[in-house]
Amino acid sequence: MITVNAMGDACPLPVVKTLNAIKGLRGPECVETLVDNPTAVENLRRLAQSRGCSFSSEKRGEAEYRVLLGVSAEAELPAEEAPACYIPPAKKRVVVAVTADHMGEGDPKLGRTLLKGFLFALGQLEELPAVILFYNGGAALSCEGSESLEDLKALEGRGVEILTCGTCLNFYGLSEKLRVGGVTNMYSIVETLAGADLVLRP
Amino acid sequence: MRERKPRLFFSFAATAAAMEAERLCREAGLPGRLVPVPRQITAGCGLAWMTEPAEGERVRAFLTERGAAYQDCVLLDF
Repeated sequence: MITVNAMGDACPLPVVKTLNAIKGLRGPECVETLVDNPTAVENLRRLAQSRGCSFSSEKRGEAEYRVLLGVSAEAELPAEEAPACYIPPAKKRVVVAVTADHMGEGDPKLGRTLLKGFLFALGQLEELPAVILFYNGGAALSCEGSESLEDLKALEGRGVEILTCGTCLNFYGLSEKLRVGGVTNMYSIVETLAGADLVLRP
Repeated sequence: MRERKPRLFFSFAATAAAMEAERLCREAGLPGRLVPVPRQITAGCGLAWMTEPAEGERVRAFLTERGAAYQDCVLLDF
C-alpha cells in the first residue's frame, strides 16, 4: 500500500497527489490518502468513480480523514489532465413568509393548529431558513399570547432571523407586544423576499 | 443540530380528537404540547400530544379519565 499525505493541502492537490501515486503503480494495489477536509474526501470519491477504483473512507478525527482507493488491474489509468476542483454548492437561502395567523384556507381553528405545527416542524429541518417574515395577520405569531413564541425563540437562538412588519404591528395594536425578533419595514420585506432562493408560504 | 431526547407521543384517530385533547390537557395544566406526528409514528391523524416520558402515566390516566381516547402511545427519540 502506498500512503499519500495530503493533510493541509488545498484542492486540487489531494487529487493530484493521489493520481500521481496511482500512476506510479506497477499492478493492483491500494492507495491510502490522508486529508483534512470532507470536500477532499468527496473529490477522491469522484476520482475513484471515474477511474473504476474501489473507494472507502473513514473519519479519524476532527479534521482527519483516511481514504482508501483500491486500484485493480482493470482500473483506467489516469490521463494527463488537470483534475477539476469541486466547490460545494452554496446553501440555498430560504425565507418563510407567514402572512396570516392560520395555515391554508378552511376552518380557522384547524388553520391555527396547522400553523403552530408548521412553525414547530421548521425547527426540525436540518437546514434552517435564513429568515422568517411575519406580516398582516401573521404578525400576531411573534407577539405576546402567541403559542409559537417558544418555537420562534428557539429558532432565533439557532440563527434564524425573525422579522415582523411594523406597519402591521401598529395596525393591530401590537407594537408594544412584540416578544421575539425585530421590526421591519416594507423595503426590507421586499429585499428579503427578492433575495431569497426559495420562499415558503405556509 | 438540535438535541434529540426521548419523548412520549400520544396519537389520535382523528384531528378533532387531537385538538380536543390539547384543549383538555392545557386546561388541566398538563405538561406537553400538540405537534405534527413524527414520521416514525404511523397512526391515525397527523397530530400528537408530545410530553416528557416521566409524565406519561399522568397524561395517560388523564386522557382515559376524560374520555379523550388516544390511539397510540409511542416513545421516540425526537
